[in-house]
Amino acid sequence: MIANRGEIALRINRACQELGVPTVAIFSEPDRESLHVRQADEAFCVGPGPVPRSYLNIPNIISTALITRCDAIHPGYGFLAENARFAEICADHGLTFIGPKPSVIAAMGDKATAKRIMHEAGVSTTPGTGILAGAKEARKHAESFGYPVLLKATAGGGGKGMRVVERPEDLERAYASATAEAEASFKDGRVYMEKLILNPRHIEVQVLGDESGNIVHLGERDCSMQKPSHQKLVEEAPAPNLGDAMRTKLHEMAVRACRHSKYTNAGTLEFLASGDDVYFMEMNTRIQVEHPVTEMVYGIDLVKEQIRIAAGELMGYEQRDLIARGHAIECRINAEDPRNNFAPQAGAVSKVVFPGGPGIRVDTHVHSGSSIPPYYDSMIAKIVAHGDTRDAAIARMERALRETVIEGVNTTVEFCRDVLATPEFRSGHYNVGTLPTMLEAKV
Amino acid sequence: MPNDADALADRVRRLAEFLAASDALRVRIEREDEDIEVARYGKAVAPVTVVMAIDGVAAFEPPPLKVDAIKADLVGIFRLSRPTPLEGELLATDRELAFVEALGMRNPVRSLGGGRIVSIAAEDGAAVEYGQPLFLVDRG
Repeated sequence: MIANRGEIALRINRACQELGVPTVAIFSEPDRESLHVRQADEAFCVGPGPVPRSYLNIPNIISTALITRCDAIHPGYGFLAENARFAEICADHGLTFIGPKPSVIAAMGDKATAKRIMHEAGVSTTPGTGILAGAKEARKHAESFGYPVLLKATAGGGGKGMRVVERPEDLERAYASATAEAEASFKDGRVYMEKLILNPRHIEVQVLGDESGNIVHLGERDCSMQKPSHQKLVEEAPAPNLGDAMRTKLHEMAVRACRHSKYTNAGTLEFLASGDDVYFMEMNTRIQVEHPVTEMVYGIDLVKEQIRIAAGELMGYEQRDLIARGHAIECRINAEDPRNNFAPQAGAVSKVVFPGGPGIRVDTHVHSGSSIPPYYDSMIAKIVAHGDTRDAAIARMERALRETVIEGVNTTVEFCRDVLATPEFRSGHYNVGTLPTMLEAKV
Repeated sequence: MPNDADALADRVRRLAEFLAASDALRVRIEREDEDIEVARYGKAVAPVTVVMAIDGVAAFEPPPLKVDAIKADLVGIFRLSRPTPLEGELLATDRELAFVEALGMRNPVRSLGGGRIVSIAAEDGAAVEYGQPLFLVDRG
């Protein structure tokens, strides 16, 4: 069963078809005419448009899997992909969850536990403290980390109880306001501190592990081109201007962490890199949106690997068998208005022409006449370009974006072209601050 | 020129053809000097009577059906309850008509008031999805 929608549901369906595995799709009422519904062998409506009543409706999803006699559930990304409880429920009903074990999902989903595991595995994490006893202790730690630092509520979320402290003289006031806000928001005023890494690069490493303990990495991706909302827009593999020493360090840390946590299936370790320093940020225990750039470079179908590993098959290759070839770039095409703070767009797509030709891959669920419901993520396509070199991949992507026609809704096509044309992207010297700065300059 | 018997036979034949092509149970023509009624038997269909107007006699318009669709609100196996509800059956009050079996639970499907069962839209023992019509009930 494919417990997802949109392009990733189609992507999983394609992998299943090539493996000779029959599929069952689930869908919400507004998705009834979607391509993923039409291309699956069977399809069941599990609820109305809103996500909690359809794509997060665990009873209806499990019931569908049982009455259609599914063996396994692929959760894709988002929705239930990193829900340890859902993975447990699958196991309780004799269904194979295509992903790591529930205990590993739960451990990596808890920031403190994940950090502890990484620390045990010798992976560097952002310097931080435990719960602070007061402003005096906060000052002592801030001096050892070096400013700027970040005060965070231990019960936090949504930026509540969070304060950036750039100078020693601001610490006391920031501590007082962070604890007060945390107390008011969560009835828990406890705060801790982390060193703030200013404008780092976001670099992530793709890993695969099977039941025998064989762990491999499939290189890194640079995902630093992010909107102010931290949503990735343009990704590439390999990361430009990384340096062999840093690259090796990242790959080794990722494999070490997975070996330590006995990780199975596909996963991604996200790191913040700044200068020669690199810090573990979080681990995503699922397939990533941007996985196609890795597939283009390594020639491995990650979704098929996920299915094979979940079925108990061994990978049958080792690290030395994996060779990166060329360079790949992905542009996320979202139904958003870049001129209006990337406001999501819903409605009918009157005309679509996607690019083609050598080295281009398009993962999409959208076609001329399809409709974009207001309930879901605004990403409608991923355009991926592969070339022998980074310059060749950029040229190919620019050509592909010029060929792309989407009428009826505003999209990020033009904006992606603008990003590719910036000197920062051209030179490969960019970080998570580049895109927000570019947007501020435009305003 | 056809005689009276031929004309009558022709009218009956046309009515029978109309009946066969429709969901109606009975068709009746009323005129000052003539009543013709054609009915079908043996198949459980909704008891709809159609009165046709011919030769200038005004048509009688039956009141429109107020049909509610009772839909599945979860995914599971549809099973009719006992006593088995029948198409055409009158329901005096709210009653359990069926249940949807999901994750080992029996989730009742109720008529939600009185009415006449126009149609049982799902097959006993079949898998049903969210939003699938299970019963059509005339509340008129």
